[in-house]
Amino acid sequence: MSELKNLKKQWQAIMSCMNCGDCGYAIRSSVGRYLTCPVKEAKGDQGFEIYFSRGRMNVLKSILEGKIPLSKELAEFAYQCSECGNCTEVCHQSQNEYIILPTSKWIDHVEVWNALRKDLVEAGYAPLDKHRNLIDYMNDETMRNPYGEDESKKFEWLSEFPNIKQKADLAFFGGCTMPLRQVNTLKNMMKILNASDIDLAISKDEWCCGSIALRIGDEESVKNLLERNVAVFKEMGAKSVFTACAGCYRTLKKDYPEILGEPLPFEVKHITEILIDLLNSKNVPFKEEQDEQKVTYHDPCHLGRHMNLYEIPRDVISQIPGVKLTEMKRNRKNAWCCGAGGGVKSQFSDLALDISKDRILEAIETGADILTTSCPFCIGNFIDAYNDLEPELQEKIKVIDLIDFIASKI
Amino acid sequence: MSELYHKLERIVKKEHISNDLLVRHSYSRNVDLILQGVPDIVIRPKDEIEISEILKVANEENITVIPRGGGDCEFGGSKPINNEGIVLDLKRLNKIIHLDKDNLVVTVEAGISWAKLNDYLCNFGLYTGCMGPGSGMTASIGGGISHHSVGGGGCAKYGACTNQLVSLEVVLPTGEIIQTGSQANKYSQAPFNRFGNGPDLTGLFCGDNGIYGIKTKVSLQVFPKPEFAAYKTFQLPRKERQVSAQIMSEIRHRGIDVYDLMYLMDILVRFEIQENFMPMWDHLKRKRGMIFYTIEANSDQELQVKEKQLDKIMDENKCEYLGSEIADGNIAKWHYTEQGHWQFYHNLWGIFPTMQPLTAECFTPINNYPSILDDIDLWDMQHEEDIQKIFEICQKRSIAGSGPILLIDGNNVEITCGFTSFWSVFDGEVHPEIDEINLKLWKSLLELVTKKGVQWYMMGDVVSRLMVDIGAYGEEFYELMKNIKKTIDPNMILSRGKFNFWGNE
Repeated sequence: MSELKNLKKQWQAIMSCMNCGDCGYAIRSSVGRYLTCPVKEAKGDQGFEIYFSRGRMNVLKSILEGKIPLSKELAEFAYQCSECGNCTEVCHQSQNEYIILPTSKWIDHVEVWNALRKDLVEAGYAPLDKHRNLIDYMNDETMRNPYGEDESKKFEWLSEFPNIKQKADLAFFGGCTMPLRQVNTLKNMMKILNASDIDLAISKDEWCCGSIALRIGDEESVKNLLERNVAVFKEMGAKSVFTACAGCYRTLKKDYPEILGEPLPFEVKHITEILIDLLNSKNVPFKEEQDEQKVTYHDPCHLGRHMNLYEIPRDVISQIPGVKLTEMKRNRKNAWCCGAGGGVKSQFSDLALDISKDRILEAIETGADILTTSCPFCIGNFIDAYNDLEPELQEKIKVIDLIDFIASKI
Repeated sequence: MSELYHKLERIVKKEHISNDLLVRHSYSRNVDLILQGVPDIVIRPKDEIEISEILKVANEENITVIPRGGGDCEFGGSKPINNEGIVLDLKRLNKIIHLDKDNLVVTVEAGISWAKLNDYLCNFGLYTGCMGPGSGMTASIGGGISHHSVGGGGCAKYGACTNQLVSLEVVLPTGEIIQTGSQANKYSQAPFNRFGNGPDLTGLFCGDNGIYGIKTKVSLQVFPKPEFAAYKTFQLPRKERQVSAQIMSEIRHRGIDVYDLMYLMDILVRFEIQENFMPMWDHLKRKRGMIFYTIEANSDQELQVKEKQLDKIMDENKCEYLGSEIADGNIAKWHYTEQGHWQFYHNLWGIFPTMQPLTAECFTPINNYPSILDDIDLWDMQHEEDIQKIFEICQKRSIAGSGPILLIDGNNVEITCGFTSFWSVFDGEVHPEIDEINLKLWKSLLELVTKKGVQWYMMGDVVSRLMVDIGAYGEEFYELMKNIKKTIDPNMILSRGKFNFWGNE
C-alpha cells in the first residue's frame, strides 16, 4: 500500500462520495444543467461507469480498502478524463448562497484524479507512452517544450516586434502552444497591444510552465521549471505576468504557489484581464463600421471551473462593436468541456475530437456566427474537430480565438 | 474468457460487455458504506430482445442477473449480494418512445432518468406529478417503479410513482416478454389504463425490488403542470414531532390539496446550522424543527384559498413563518424551484467527512411516526457502547435518526431512517472492525423500526433479507411470494438472494 501516498491523502474525499451518480446523469433545466461528464457522453453506448466520476470513486474505494492494486489498466482509464471539473461542480451545486451542500466541503474531484495520477506515476504505471514523450521533450535541454521543437523556435516571432522590452513592470509569458502552434494569434495580440501603446517585456529564458506534467501527475518534473520561470520574472522586475494560455494561467496562478508553499513575487493575469482594462479605457482602436455578428463564448475549464474567471471574457466580447453575445445552453459553471485537457488530446485524440464536436454542435444551436474562446488548447482541439465536420455544418459557424477576433476588428 | 462470456458477447457485441476487474468494481456498490458485491460480468443491453437472450443464457448457465437502473439504492439493491453474477446496466434503454398528448400518457424505455423525462415533458407544459425518488436526477424510471419511489417532489399530491403507472413491458426471468395493463389486450393501439383485462399483473412488478422481472418499457400518466405555485417554510414550536403530525393529519382531514409537505427534525436543523451548511437559518434564535409546504394551483385565486387554509393550520399550531425568500430561511422555495436535491433530502449524510447512510426507507401512518422517532432516540442511547467504539477511531459520533418526514398519499408519511456512520477507511488506514459494528447496528435499528409495523418500500439486499430473518412476514404471505418466484423464475436467476430466495444452492 506504500505506493498510495497521494491517494491516502484524499481518503476523505474518496470516502465522502455518496454514489448518487449526478456526476454522470444530472439534468436540471431550471438551472442550466444538462448532463455532466463529457467523457461518459462521448463514450456513448460504451459508457461503462468507470468512465465517469462515480465509477472511478468506487474503484478508488476498493484500492484504499486494499482490495485491488494500482495497475497499468487503471492508468488507461484514469487518463481518459479531461479533468474538466464538471463533476465537482454538479456535486457542489446548491445554486444558492444560503444553502451549502456537504460534499462541497469534502470533495474536490480534480484533486482526487491528480492524486491518483501522481500515485500511478510514482508506481511506474504512468506516464502512458505519448505522455512520456511530452514530458521527455519538456525536460530536454534543447527543447524545454512538450512539442518536441527546438527551443529557439518558440521565440522566432519576437523578431517582428523590436519594441518588446527585456525588463518592464508587465511581462508576458508566452508558453509553448501559441508560439509553436498558433503564432499568428500571438502576433495579433501584439497588434492589439501595440495599438494601445502597452509596454511589456518578454524573456527568451522562459521554459514550459509544466502544465502538461502536472496534469499527468509528474510533479517532480515541474519543480525545476517552476524555479527557473519564477527566477526569470524576478530578474525582469515584473510586477505582473500575463499569459494568453488558460493552462499556463492556471499553472502559474494556482499550481506554482501551491507547490512553492508561498505566494509568487508577482501577480498573474490572463490576457482577457489585460484586454478588459484596455477596452474600459477605450484604448482599442476599433474600425468604425462593423458588421453585426452573433458570437458565442466557450468557457475553457482552466479559466472557468478551475479559476472562476467567467465574466471578464464575456465583458470583453460585449465591448466589441457590432457583436452580440449569445450563450450556449451549457455555460459558465455548467459549460461543456472541449475535450482537450488532462492529457486527453495527446493520448486519446479521438476521444478529444468527439467531445469537441459535441461542443461545436451546441454552439451551432445558438445560431451564432462565431464560436470564440480564450485558450489555445481549446482552439486547437475545436479546429481539429471543425475540420472533421460536414461542410454544411462548417458553413454555420467559424471558430476563432478571442484575440484573433478582436484583431480582425481593429 | 469463459464460454458464458462468449455467449453473452454474441448477444450484445463486445463494446457492451466487460469482465475487467476495474469495471466490475465500478459497479460493485450502491449508496451504503458496507455492502459490496463484485459481479463477474457487467453488460449493457440495448433493448428487451437482448435482455431476453441474456436471461436465457443465464438460466442455461445458472448464474444470477442483477438489474441496475440509476444505481442509487441505499441498501445494496443493484449490486450482487455475493461476489458473483451479471450486472445488467439498463442505462442504454433511455429513449422516449411516445408522448400521447391527447390521452396524457408517455411511454419510455425503463432506463431513462426521471430528470431526463421531465426535462422533455416541460416542453409541453407537462410533468410526471410524482417526480420519482429524491435521487431523480440519476435514478431511472424502471428503478422507481421497482420500489414505489417517492421523494423527488409531488408525492403528497400524487403519491408514489407507481400510482401513475399505466402499463409495463417486462422481460420475465426465463426470457419471455409480456405487456401489462391495457396492453395485455394485443388489439390495444396504445397504453391508456392499468386496471382491467383480468388481475392487476402490473402490480406484481411494482415494488418488486427487481425479483420478478426486468422492466423495459414503462407507460405513465402525465399531468399538466399548474401555472401557479406557493411554498412556505415554518419553524415548529416545542413538542415538534407531535405538532408536525397533528398538522399533517389536519391537512388530510380537511382535504386540502398540497403538492409537498415535509417535516425536518430539530437534530437536522441544529447540525446544519452548527456545521455552517444552512446560512439561511443562521439568524434563527431557536434551533427547532421546520415544516414546509408547497401547493400548486391553476389560478391565483385557487392558490390563495389553499394558502389561507394551510396558513390557518400553521398559525393554530403556533408555527413561525420564516419569510418568502430563501435568504429568509424558506427552504421550500429552493426545494420546489430546484425540484429537490439528493443531498438535501438525506441531509445528515456528509455532514462530517465520509459520514454516510446505513438507512432504509419506509411508509407509515402519520400518527405512528412520532413514536418511531422517539424509539430511534432511545435505541441510539442504548447502543452507546458500540457507537463509542466507532467514535474512538473516527473522533466523530455516528448518529441514528431520520431525514425529512415526507407526507405521501393517504394518511401516510415516508421516513428515511437509520444509522448514519463512517467508512472503515479512516485517515487512509483500514479498520475492518468498523464494518462489523456498522452492520450489526444497522440491522438492529432496522429490526426495531420493522417491529413498529412500517412498510419498507426500498428493500434491496439488507432489508429484504432482514424481513425474512426476523420472521416479519406472515408465513402464508411469504410462501405465496416465494411460490410466485419459483413459478416465474424456477432457477432463481433474477436478483438471487433478495428476500432469501436462494434457490437450490
